[in-house]
Amino acid sequence: MNLNDIKKEFPIFDDKIQNNDLVYLDSANSSQKPKLVIDRINEFYTKQFSNVGRSVHYLAVAATNLYENTRTSVQKYINAKDKNEIVFTKGATEALNLVANTLGQKYLNEGDEIILTELEHHSNYVPWHYLRKSKNIKINFAEINDDGEIPIENIEKLITPKTKVIAINHLSNVTGAILPIKEITQLAHSKEIMVVVDGCQGAPHLKLDMQDLDCDFYAISCHKMYGPTGLGILYGKKKWLEELPPYQGGGGMIKEVKKDRITYGDLPNKYEAGTMATAQVIAFDQSIKFLESIGIDNVIKHEKELIEYGQEILRKNNSVKLIGSPKNKGGVLSFTIKGVHPHDIATILDEDGVAIRAGHHCCQILHDKLGISASARASIGIYNTKEDFDQLNESINKCKKIFEIK
Amino acid sequence: MNLKELYQEIILEHGKNPRNLRKTENFNKDAKGNNPLCGDNVHVYLKLNDQRKVEDISFEGSGCAISMASASIMTDLIKGKSDNEAKEIIEDFLGMIKENPELKNKILKEDDKTKLMCLSGVKQYPMRVKCATLSWHTLVSAMENHGKQISTED
Repeated sequence: MNLNDIKKEFPIFDDKIQNNDLVYLDSANSSQKPKLVIDRINEFYTKQFSNVGRSVHYLAVAATNLYENTRTSVQKYINAKDKNEIVFTKGATEALNLVANTLGQKYLNEGDEIILTELEHHSNYVPWHYLRKSKNIKINFAEINDDGEIPIENIEKLITPKTKVIAINHLSNVTGAILPIKEITQLAHSKEIMVVVDGCQGAPHLKLDMQDLDCDFYAISCHKMYGPTGLGILYGKKKWLEELPPYQGGGGMIKEVKKDRITYGDLPNKYEAGTMATAQVIAFDQSIKFLESIGIDNVIKHEKELIEYGQEILRKNNSVKLIGSPKNKGGVLSFTIKGVHPHDIATILDEDGVAIRAGHHCCQILHDKLGISASARASIGIYNTKEDFDQLNESINKCKKIFEIK
Repeated sequence: MNLKELYQEIILEHGKNPRNLRKTENFNKDAKGNNPLCGDNVHVYLKLNDQRKVEDISFEGSGCAISMASASIMTDLIKGKSDNEAKEIIEDFLGMIKENPELKNKILKEDDKTKLMCLSGVKQYPMRVKCATLSWHTLVSAMENHGKQISTED
């Protein structure tokens, strides 16, 4: 597949958005969808729809097979050891809540400590905060360095005999820093600490190998990965998923229900209560196929070139200040312009069809640390081009002109 | 409505050099407001004298050009008004931002109304309406003296 033509695979780019060609630089928020993913949802509802895992009629069995096919595709894509280590959730947020909640029920005790980082998205902080409230768990934050990275030493020095969990992101949605998960996991496991990874930004852009990373849990957001909304994936090591209690109760997750006792289903059903996002799961198989057809090495190469180009352009632009300069960086460029509030930047850029995000990007801890209330963020996907960054720069210059900034 | 009409000179000027960006000495009413979506916040201070006239009004906080300009113009226009006049102006402004094409009050002079109408450009940007109205809702809270923190997401 020629990466220069890849925009053609995404119908959103076919039409003008408010009379402009769309320059979509908000993929860290959510990615656009390839045509085959969109078509798959339509096809499933049109020709194949049934609920899964329950009825014995033809459509139900066929739909169940399709649903399970995606589980197998995901297992292979992320190189998990076992298909049952893949749990579908309603999003990465639910995946992280599931982990924090069930660990809180069975594994964590009063006084235990958890290490997070200052880069964490609220969805990898708030669920742990609940445990601080309900179980008196202590949370420590590993600090960023001047480049917006988390050096492993900053995690290591927080470890105490009471540390039970290290919960960290794979790729920062603000500074773009890629965390050394494998090294962190080795360190953690040597001290019998488990590692939970928020892989929302890592999964769409990096090579995933669960057996190599060796983390205990890894949360994925499918809508950031060229897939449908309403779907997330929790990878969890089998021993944990078997040992921990269920998260939600309902149909599909039980083995036997009596008036005086209930036994729970085997993996992965134990964690998939109620009717799941069936069409989304089935369509997500196409997202995986799409990524496989490009090849993750090509994705990484393309995005690295792009982000280096974007970084260079913005660095040359006076009065644009980039947030963080990690050596190992993914496709996120956050910045501020002295004298222009990020929301004003975003509104002015929007007039040219340049879609970016402005705000704290669900990372208030990080923005507090940086001493700013908000930032502007351009983030890329596989469909972006150098021309997109040229347009971004041009629109930033227009913004500076309006605000009379040199 | 295009962008030029939202980011007009008067808004950019007030945004850059906000009036009354300070804390009123001996204020007797105040309230805080914040917009959790963008992290912006504002604190409005008010000094109502015995004749229920706004002797001084000021604000502290940070935010985008729209929110700073709106707070700046608001404090400029509310100063010296009675509390009833202030309430009428606030209601009129919020009504205009929400749905009315024009301002209806007879308290403000035409050129003051023009300043407020400059903010009507946000109507085309639904996500930005909150930027323009936060300080006004906060002023209402201060005047009603219920001390409740205003949030754009309540």
